[in-house]
Amino acid sequence: MPHFVAHGRVLAALAAIGVALLFTAPLLIGLTGTIAPAFGLMPELAPGNGFLQLLEDPRFLPALKLSIKTGVIATLLVLLFTIVALVCLHKTRWWRWMLAALPPLLAIPHAALAVGLVFLVAPSGWIVRLFSPWLTTWERPPADWVVPDAGGWSLIAGLVMKEAPFLLLAAAAQLPRLNVDALLKIGLTLGYSPARCWSRLVLPTLYPRIRLTLFVILAFNLSVVDMALLLGPGNPPTLSVLLLSYVHEPGFRAAASAGALMLAVGMAAFFVAVILIEKSIAQVAKRRRESGHRGHGIGLFRQIGKYSVVALILCSVFTLVALLLWSFTQRWRFPAALPDTFTARHWLGRSDLLLDPLWATILFAMFSCVATLVGAMVWLEAERLDAVKKIDWLWYVPFFIPQVTLLFGWQAASLITASDGQWLTVAYAHWVYTLPYVVLILAVAWRELDPNWNNAASVLGAGYWKVLFRIRLPLLIKPVLQAMAVAVAVSVAQYLPTALLGAGRHNTLAIEVVTSFGGVDRRVIATLAVLQSLLPLIVFSLALLIPAAMQQKQQQHS
Amino acid sequence: MNLFPQSLRKCLLACALLLPVQLPDAASVDDSWADVVQEARGQTVYFNAWGGSDRINAYLEWAGKQLQSEYGVSLIHVKIGDIAEVVGQLEAAKAVGRDTDGNVDLMWVNGENFAALKRNELLFGSFTGLLPNTAYVKQAPSITHDFSIPVEGLESPWGGAQLVFIYDSAVTKTPPQSAIELMTYIKDGGRFSYPAPPAFHGTTMVKQFLSELTDDKAALASPVGEADFDAATKPLWAYLDELHPMLWGKGKSWPTSGEQTRQMLDDGEVDIAISFNPNEAAAAVKSGQLADTVRTYTFSEGTIGNTHFVTIPYNAKAAAGAMVAANYLVSPEAQARKADPEYWGDPTVLDIDTVPSEMLAKFSEIDLGVWALPLGSGKTLSEPHASWAQALEAAWIERYGQ
Repeated sequence: MPHFVAHGRVLAALAAIGVALLFTAPLLIGLTGTIAPAFGLMPELAPGNGFLQLLEDPRFLPALKLSIKTGVIATLLVLLFTIVALVCLHKTRWWRWMLAALPPLLAIPHAALAVGLVFLVAPSGWIVRLFSPWLTTWERPPADWVVPDAGGWSLIAGLVMKEAPFLLLAAAAQLPRLNVDALLKIGLTLGYSPARCWSRLVLPTLYPRIRLTLFVILAFNLSVVDMALLLGPGNPPTLSVLLLSYVHEPGFRAAASAGALMLAVGMAAFFVAVILIEKSIAQVAKRRRESGHRGHGIGLFRQIGKYSVVALILCSVFTLVALLLWSFTQRWRFPAALPDTFTARHWLGRSDLLLDPLWATILFAMFSCVATLVGAMVWLEAERLDAVKKIDWLWYVPFFIPQVTLLFGWQAASLITASDGQWLTVAYAHWVYTLPYVVLILAVAWRELDPNWNNAASVLGAGYWKVLFRIRLPLLIKPVLQAMAVAVAVSVAQYLPTALLGAGRHNTLAIEVVTSFGGVDRRVIATLAVLQSLLPLIVFSLALLIPAAMQQKQQQHS
Repeated sequence: MNLFPQSLRKCLLACALLLPVQLPDAASVDDSWADVVQEARGQTVYFNAWGGSDRINAYLEWAGKQLQSEYGVSLIHVKIGDIAEVVGQLEAAKAVGRDTDGNVDLMWVNGENFAALKRNELLFGSFTGLLPNTAYVKQAPSITHDFSIPVEGLESPWGGAQLVFIYDSAVTKTPPQSAIELMTYIKDGGRFSYPAPPAFHGTTMVKQFLSELTDDKAALASPVGEADFDAATKPLWAYLDELHPMLWGKGKSWPTSGEQTRQMLDDGEVDIAISFNPNEAAAAVKSGQLADTVRTYTFSEGTIGNTHFVTIPYNAKAAAGAMVAANYLVSPEAQARKADPEYWGDPTVLDIDTVPSEMLAKFSEIDLGVWALPLGSGKTLSEPHASWAQALEAAWIERYGQ
């Protein structure tokens, strides 16, 4: 028996190391494939001095500035939104309602959200249509603003809508562990205003726990490609988008690689800056905390905060409704509040347009879902058996390397090995970008599950596999299904890996929505975007319904 | 089987030598064509073509089905945003020595991208002499020369196109007839914008302005290196400097494509949409994307027109299949459907007089409606030499791209 355990542990360690290698190899290859051309080490593929080419382009500095502006402001707004939501909504009747609304919003793919937002806030968009001409007197769309705007505010709005629910959910998940109710009660008893209770008692302990999530968001906002293509200014675009156009431009790969490298280094510099700013804020906050000022609770502020949070959530819901309406529109002229004539032909008439990308999307999603689950289980089981050490930081690595930095190099490598455009290459990239979510979600439940269940089963003579499949997995069915749903949502939203490694051959819904925006029939794009949003919504619903149904069945049995 | 591409290439080389003077004699073409068709059966042809139009995509879907049933060739439309990307891909492939089994078998090009492919020897070779349907193609300067670059059988013509403007006659009574009139129109409150170069419609619009405004019209037909670029473009920049602050987006935001200006016309955000397809409005009205009060026109002194082509890259994996596809795309059947605004509405490259009468019926059935550019109207201006596009794009970005 001990012999068997040792033997099993070696196997588990080997399998887990295999998973880790599969995961890290493309990260290393990708970085190498970006660094080498940037420094002129791959002259056949990337001739010239990339850094010089970059600095000679008049668009480079404006693009860099734009990326920093949109990335930083969006991240600050996400943080502000989270704090306002916590302070103004926690303990109100809207809190539960909001927590229920956030996960489905989180599941909406970036591209679909971006397309819907344009339909909503453009001068000829739905909001203006709803209030024209009876309120605004506008018979024609106003010419005062355009979407996307040159200042990048449309992009900022889209990023906040996409990322704010993410941070808020991460924060909400921490509240029970912090014993927030008790902290607030103490603060209120001591006479502090509710806002000060939060800022002086809760936030200092909460912030360190959501900081990693905030960094992930900052990294995403600084380097996002798909949303910047749809919502960002075009001339100049953000740095990531500019770099993407270099990759496709003959003779500019060195510049693309150099820029991607600078983006990665710049991002690291940002993290250092944020950590320094945190420190000085912490000092100021400490002094203020000790001053003992109680502050005045301003009810109006709380009301404004509450409604702005609700407005943002409603905005996300309305983008979806706008998409849905356009997907059933035959004619919808300005300033009508609703379509003039409806049709179902965008859904029924051209099935090839929808079914081909749908099928491509589902195949990648299913692969990601199953393969990441296997990978995560292998790793976590090995961890549980003490065959490997816990290395959670590893799974965060892809979140902190800009997608362009990793994928330019990976694409260069795939060109050299002639593996670009192959299904497996793209699926592999989906796996790499999905695995971290699945491991990190499952890890919590996996580690917390009471080992006594295993021990009891083993005592009764059940073997390893029987314990795993009959005891552990059924007990963990909820987090497993949730992780699978997240895997599907992440895969469905992947634009850049599919676009760069797929050589244009794997047209998923994400690709179709992004590439056809601005060109193809708006009603067709809306249909594609609705379909892209439906997939994650369906799997998230299933992930909720299946465990509930199973529980019911069990109760009937007993 | 692997021997084929080499032998085919030799045969094509021979054709190429003969082509400028005369087509090779019918019998030998027939024989080698039969070989090509036989070789093509069962091949999968990856056709990299702009995928930004729903109707064009649907047309290619249809063409793919015909090719499958008639020739056993699977045509896969690889949808791309800008064919320049593919030129870049091919250069990268050549750089790393991927000289066979390439990713692209057939591609949709013209102008500066063709010039780049030809200059960098990224093309398969002269093949159009081999295609039976080449016999029906118009003998026009815009087909034998692509943006002043000799075609030499390296690409097969696919369609004609001309810069046109679409407006809503219910909103705009008298649309502007020249660049100068456009300026006055916008000053009087008219709404307009054009896509930022290097978006194709944007570059074309800039070329149109240049052709009208430059003092040195002759220079445009020769390579840009031979001209005094600054002097020739001075009136253009003066014009754009004045125009831009009055545009939709104040010269800071730009539409991303010509198709987007069509959507903006329907939304009322602009008054005039830009298209490169004289029949686009007809198709858009029929599918409910534009009001039936829209009309299409060109400037009174003419607008820029050109031909677009398909070509085969040097490292194509399924060259024979690509030729069969290229041949099918210039067949009277495929060209008639393509010219029909119901499906696409792209003017044909065929000389209707040479098309056998039994195939002619499909052309005469086409109903352009009142929305398309009326047949015979619209003078065509030649494209400047291919080298101008890049120089203009760079200068435009330098001035307005930051």
